[in-house]
Amino acid sequence: MLNQIIFGYFAVTMISLALIVITRKNIMHSIVYMLILFFHIAGLYLFLNAEFLAAIQIIVYAGAIMVLFLFVIMLLNLREELRKSRFAITWPIGAIFVVLSAVMIIISVFGNRFANVGNVKISDIEKVGHTVAVGKLLFVEYLFPFEVASLILLVAIVGAIVLAKKEIK
Amino acid sequence: MIPKCYLFIPFLPLVSFVFNMLFGKRVLKDKAHLVPIVAVSGSLFFSFVVLIYVLFGNLVNEDLYTWVKSGDFKVSIGFLIDELTAVMLIVVSTVSLLVHVYSIGYMHGDERYSRFFAYLSLFTFSMLMLVMSNNFLQLYFGWEAVGLSSYFLIGFWYEKKSASDAAKKAFIVNRFGDFGFGLGVILLFITFGTLHYVPIFSDVELIKGQVFSFLGMDMDVATLIALLLFCGAVGKSAQLPLHTWLPDAMEGPTPVSALIHAATMVTAGVFLVARANPIFSLSPTALTVVALTGGITAIFAATIALVQNDIKRIIAYSTISQLGYMFVACGVGAYASGIFHLYTHAFFKALLFLCAGSVMHAMSGETNIQKMGGLKEHMPYTYWTMLIASLSIAGVPGFAGFFSKDDILWRAFASGTFTGKFVWFLCTVGAMLTAFYTFRIIFLTFHGTFRGTKEEKKHLHESPQNMTMPLVVLAGGSVLAGYVGIPVILGGNEWFSEFLSPVVGYAEGHGGHLAEFIVMLLSVIVAGFGIYGAYYIYLKRIDIANSAKETFKPIYNILYGKYYVDELYEYMVQRTILRFTKYVIEKVIDSWIIEGIVNGVPAAIGWLSMKVRRVQTGVVGHYSLAMALGFFVLTIMIVFKIWN
Amino acid sequence: MQVPDLIPVVPEILMTILVLSLLVIDLFIKQKEYIAVYTVVGSLLVIISVFYCTGVTFKGMFVADSYSIFFKMIFLINVIFAAIISVEYLKKRASLYGEYYVLLVFATIGMMIMASAGNLIVLYLGLELMALSTYVLAGIIRTDGLSTEAAVKYFLLGAFSSAILLYGISLLYGITGSLDIREIGLYIAKEGIINNKLLLLGLVFFITSFGFKIAAAPFHMWTPDVYHGAPTSITAFMSVGPKAAAFAIFGRVFMIVFPALSGSWVNLLIPIAILTMAVGNIVALAQTNIKRMLAYSSIAHAGYALLGIIAASNEGLSAMMNYMLIYLFMNVGAFILVIMLNNQAKVGDSIHDYRGLSKSNPLAAFLMLIIMFSLTGIPPTAGFMGKLYLFMAVVNAGYGWLAVVAVIFSAISAFYYLRIVMFMFMNESIEEVKLSLVDVNGLLLIIVVFMVLFIGVNPQPFVELARLAIL
Repeated sequence: MLNQIIFGYFAVTMISLALIVITRKNIMHSIVYMLILFFHIAGLYLFLNAEFLAAIQIIVYAGAIMVLFLFVIMLLNLREELRKSRFAITWPIGAIFVVLSAVMIIISVFGNRFANVGNVKISDIEKVGHTVAVGKLLFVEYLFPFEVASLILLVAIVGAIVLAKKEIK
Repeated sequence: MIPKCYLFIPFLPLVSFVFNMLFGKRVLKDKAHLVPIVAVSGSLFFSFVVLIYVLFGNLVNEDLYTWVKSGDFKVSIGFLIDELTAVMLIVVSTVSLLVHVYSIGYMHGDERYSRFFAYLSLFTFSMLMLVMSNNFLQLYFGWEAVGLSSYFLIGFWYEKKSASDAAKKAFIVNRFGDFGFGLGVILLFITFGTLHYVPIFSDVELIKGQVFSFLGMDMDVATLIALLLFCGAVGKSAQLPLHTWLPDAMEGPTPVSALIHAATMVTAGVFLVARANPIFSLSPTALTVVALTGGITAIFAATIALVQNDIKRIIAYSTISQLGYMFVACGVGAYASGIFHLYTHAFFKALLFLCAGSVMHAMSGETNIQKMGGLKEHMPYTYWTMLIASLSIAGVPGFAGFFSKDDILWRAFASGTFTGKFVWFLCTVGAMLTAFYTFRIIFLTFHGTFRGTKEEKKHLHESPQNMTMPLVVLAGGSVLAGYVGIPVILGGNEWFSEFLSPVVGYAEGHGGHLAEFIVMLLSVIVAGFGIYGAYYIYLKRIDIANSAKETFKPIYNILYGKYYVDELYEYMVQRTILRFTKYVIEKVIDSWIIEGIVNGVPAAIGWLSMKVRRVQTGVVGHYSLAMALGFFVLTIMIVFKIWN
Repeated sequence: MQVPDLIPVVPEILMTILVLSLLVIDLFIKQKEYIAVYTVVGSLLVIISVFYCTGVTFKGMFVADSYSIFFKMIFLINVIFAAIISVEYLKKRASLYGEYYVLLVFATIGMMIMASAGNLIVLYLGLELMALSTYVLAGIIRTDGLSTEAAVKYFLLGAFSSAILLYGISLLYGITGSLDIREIGLYIAKEGIINNKLLLLGLVFFITSFGFKIAAAPFHMWTPDVYHGAPTSITAFMSVGPKAAAFAIFGRVFMIVFPALSGSWVNLLIPIAILTMAVGNIVALAQTNIKRMLAYSSIAHAGYALLGIIAASNEGLSAMMNYMLIYLFMNVGAFILVIMLNNQAKVGDSIHDYRGLSKSNPLAAFLMLIIMFSLTGIPPTAGFMGKLYLFMAVVNAGYGWLAVVAVIFSAISAFYYLRIVMFMFMNESIEEVKLSLVDVNGLLLIIVVFMVLFIGVNPQPFVELARLAIL
């Protein structure tokens, strides 16, 4: 019962926060709400006994990425942005579809079981420690996706340079 | 087996077509005839090689190349060479070669000289592929390809409006027949699951008595297939009621008329019926239809030919009439006789056309025989060869036409059915008319006094050697071609029918030798009567012709007006149908329906196109909205499974 | 721990080596054309290696089977074509040379990984690798506003579709407890959960995101803007490569994960296919910009190819693969001429620029005629063969009426393809366009047209190839 209550709190809060993030007029406010959202995600990881992931979530997202966001936003001139309407004129239609789609998803969830299978048990993880468990999974089991992810990062770097470099004559 | 060299027969003309299209105009110029003539000579040579192989009992039936294969459906290029094909190969390549040679002189100086030879080669290729095919689909493609080359060649002088109109007419009228033919091919595939001749003909007994239900009507499958195939034959071979395109097709250059519209392409319908003889033989109904169509067309066209004045049109009606004889033969089950007549007809009819071309050459393009006369002195070669052709077509004993036409008459008489007797009667009357109108041409053109202008008279001359040479060769054919099928009562052994019997079998029904002799005598007598009639009216008592014209004015007008079939069709299409629709549409439903159909569909698509295009606003938000909408609809569909 | 078998991944490794060496070489080479030559030669070597490196490795995450080999062949030929047609085009626009080729090859690696993905994570990463590279490529001419706009739109909507895909993957993982494509399929078959609503919902997520990648309506909205705005050489690259890659995963996921649900997804895909053909063909009629017209035509062709998936049979799958190969040739052929006109005469974007081309360059007009015939589907071109096999697959699957609908839309497509032919042959040119076929693009055009005719006349080997390559 307690589990349900805690999960319910996280779930509802996260969705509300996400909605708040996209509806703020002032982008700085959005960023702050997003930070709180990330902390809640970390909390959900903790709730799932994934301490390592929770720590990574806070360090990478809250620490690195959010700070980067803040820097970029400070470099841009946002006074113009504030005066404009936040949404396209069609936003109510979009909202309706989102709500209706959500209803369809909720209809689908009820009465359908999930597989409660997992390859790794909590006790096994406790034995070796979270870092080792994640590392093994990442570098042995998922070695290939890991390598592909590194290529994606390389593309991101090249792409950023291409788009940001001064025009050569 | 025959060595693969038979492939040279169709593909040499194809090569020459491509070559002439690419280089003819710039490189070869007035030497453009060289490559096609060499190619067609090669085809002729290999046709004889193939004939020799076939005579020794070697046949070919193989798929050379499979284009598409998926399950039962197979499209392949394949060749079937049997006795029937061998005969057709000889006919096609011989006439084609002679027409090629003749065209050197006839088309000399034309600005599209090389293009003309390219089309001739294309036609030869298509025709050879048609006769060598081993399946109905390739036959159909060949069928359409010869139609296309015919369209190009009829409208070769497309600057002349009458020529381009004639080309269009030929194309459109043939659509009617080919539509039926196409349906027949589809029905064949549905029925047999294949389109190859050999499996179809070996299984053909299985469909005996099967019925095909369509719109609540039960139809015998064999009859239905046979009649649909015959639709194609009626269009291509210009039988009633689709004959109207052939006389108009005479707008094309004369060598084309000789090759395509006399000797080869128009006989494709007869070839089709002979080739599909196992299917036709299953259905007495279909055979009766074939025989009656042929018989009625034979006499119908012959009567029109009696009074026409355009030399080429007379011969064109004569062609329609002679094709009718061939269908009569097929309709009474004597396919071999039909092919025999096809084969002799190719020689004398091509000869008639080429002679007519020669006359027109001398007359600077004049075609009205009333303005000719006395040409005998000026063009002896043309006169004598044309005389031979006329004797042959009139059925004078000793000439090729006598043997083949007599064969048909006897088979029709001997078939033992009422239809047989009836068409025999029609054909015998037709034989008299044939003799009459052919010799009408001879007497009006070559005898008597010249009725043209002085200017024209000065210009009269015999055609150059490269035009007279083919005439002489064809004259030889018009005499000798018949001697491969001498009937038994004249001491022969009907070798030709014997030769074709593996493909088309033997004709049913027999009669005594006396009866056969009487039939033959009768045909000779009516032919003689026809010739004498022409002689009497047009040479001896010229005044009779005019007074008869006056006396029988109504009949004359009907015949001269070709029974007003063209006018009837025009009336039906333009007056009746168009006026009716105009009335209905304009008065009753207002003009919006016609516009809706004719202009509306493209316009509606265009309008829709402009509207849908508006959705493309360029705003990312709208695009993602469309995606969300799509996603939502899909979820609705899947959650409620609305398709149940 | 043992080292995983690397043989099946050799083509991808070679491509990665190629891309890394390109990055370095770019710094030293002055004659930038050599980069293109290097890319082409490298890709040719990889094509050879593709045929020898087969097998399953990384615990089933990477599957180099005949199915993936067929698609990799398409991707590599596509990148070679793109590399060749880009040389002149880029020279005229003084853009970033080395990075351009680097991104082309990166995108190709992404496609190859997608084709070989045996695991949904790998599939997603391959897709992202491809997508990120193409986003940047679409906007590589930064001085051109349209190009930048195209890149931003493509990026935003692409991110949207990636999110949808991830949602679908997470649902599948939640239901079956696995990310391995084969295992998920086995689990669904074993448990018999074909009426599980959540699973069906996962299906919808997959259809939506794959539909976005193949540009199926109503997820196609990005296509005209992006194809129009992107550099023409990139449009040629994008309209085949990513589309074929998306069809590769479409086929693999639907035929392995969801075969038991085919009753459901066929019913979802049929309206999508019809709508796609309708939108593509009808809106193309109103276009006067040839790049936009080809964009809509590419949407329409995606609709035809979807028929192969709808058939839900090996026959349909092989017909779809065959069509992708054929589409590669005819599509590139159309774009080469656009690029050549662009390079040599600074025209070619409007369909009116093709007026009277048969007068100024009959050969080019003739080649374009064959390409247009093929796109319409007129025999004896390859396009006819491709459509024939697709339609036959649909008919054999029992959807004869759908084939009839597709034929009707094909007939409509004749309006806008043959309009170009009409302009070329029947109209007088507005201004004289000088076009020479004597360069590398012209040679490529001739090769492509030859292939279009060759496949059209002799389709059996290619059909057999596709038939052998099915899963």
